Amino acid sequence: MYGKGLRPLSIATVVAILTSFSLVFFYAPLDADQGFIQKIFYLHVPLAIVALIGFIVGGVFAIFHLRSGNRRWDAYSYVSIHMSVIFGVAVLITGAIWAKASWGHWWVWDEPTLVSFLIVFLMYATYYPFRYAIEDPERQARYASVFAVTAGAFVPLNFMAVRMAQSLVHPRTFGTANGGLPGEMMFTFLVCFVAVALLWVTLVKLELTAKSTSGQLKRLRRALDAPAQGGASRIAPEVS
Amino acid sequence: MIGLLLAATPALPLDEAGKYVAGAYIVFLVLIVIYVAIMASKLQRMEKELRDLASFAEQGRAGTPGREAEDVPIDVEAQPAAVSDRNLTPSEAAAGRPDHARGSADE
Repeated sequence: MYGKGLRPLSIATVVAILTSFSLVFFYAPLDADQGFIQKIFYLHVPLAIVALIGFIVGGVFAIFHLRSGNRRWDAYSYVSIHMSVIFGVAVLITGAIWAKASWGHWWVWDEPTLVSFLIVFLMYATYYPFRYAIEDPERQARYASVFAVTAGAFVPLNFMAVRMAQSLVHPRTFGTANGGLPGEMMFTFLVCFVAVALLWVTLVKLELTAKSTSGQLKRLRRALDAPAQGGASRIAPEVS
Repeated sequence: MIGLLLAATPALPLDEAGKYVAGAYIVFLVLIVIYVAIMASKLQRMEKELRDLASFAEQGRAGTPGREAEDVPIDVEAQPAAVSDRNLTPSEAAAGRPDHARGSADE
């Protein structure tokens, strides 16, 4: 069920990523201030935005789970957060590379944008041990949903606080006082954003398909193993 | 096409900044490749488990009590398809079912 439409979505994602990379390197003009190093922006910023939106989406799914009690929403929430954490790793690495090239340092601790993203990332990194420390599946799903809602609400608050803070060195992507990006750069950025968002959706769908298939396999194993209850399992042990 | 594209665009300044930009994009691609590799290994495990379950299901059908009496060749023509399917092992069913019966089932 989750795998429905995965193939066209994957093809669209590959096409979008190839198109966006082509635009980045062959269409978007060089930045007058930063030069070639600014090309990292087309990857780093969409990844950061999509990761943060993914965390919020995970929180929204968690609300649905808490309201309905349907475990499917918990799976959506888990996979959304999982994928956003992976994207978060990419954000931190690409950001550090850009910082090294631009500022001469891999990390600057007194920059609110960097530190706030790191705090959000580390907060969500605790989601896994928190979730898997609880054995009872029902309680695990419920507590994980409460975590996802709380943390999801923190993300936009954190973003707004950073936006209002005085930035020291981190550039503001969409300038508010000095105008935004030029047309060609904005177009390239939007295509990159769509490509990264498509990648997120595709990977979420792929992960959900894998989880669903794995769950169906477990159900099948239990159903087939039922006649052998009371003795040793007649099937090979479950592959972990 | 790519040649024309490259000819029409200015040369990329792959100097000091170039290695950082290349590094950032390579990191992104490597992360995707690692993720796909992990998913591929999961898929392999699921495939193996499915194979185990399939062989277990076949063994279960073959080892059901009372099977000896049913191992007598059955005239599939003389019985309804559903009954003959229930009495045959999968391999027997595949080998013994007449072509016209298989064709109607496929339809």
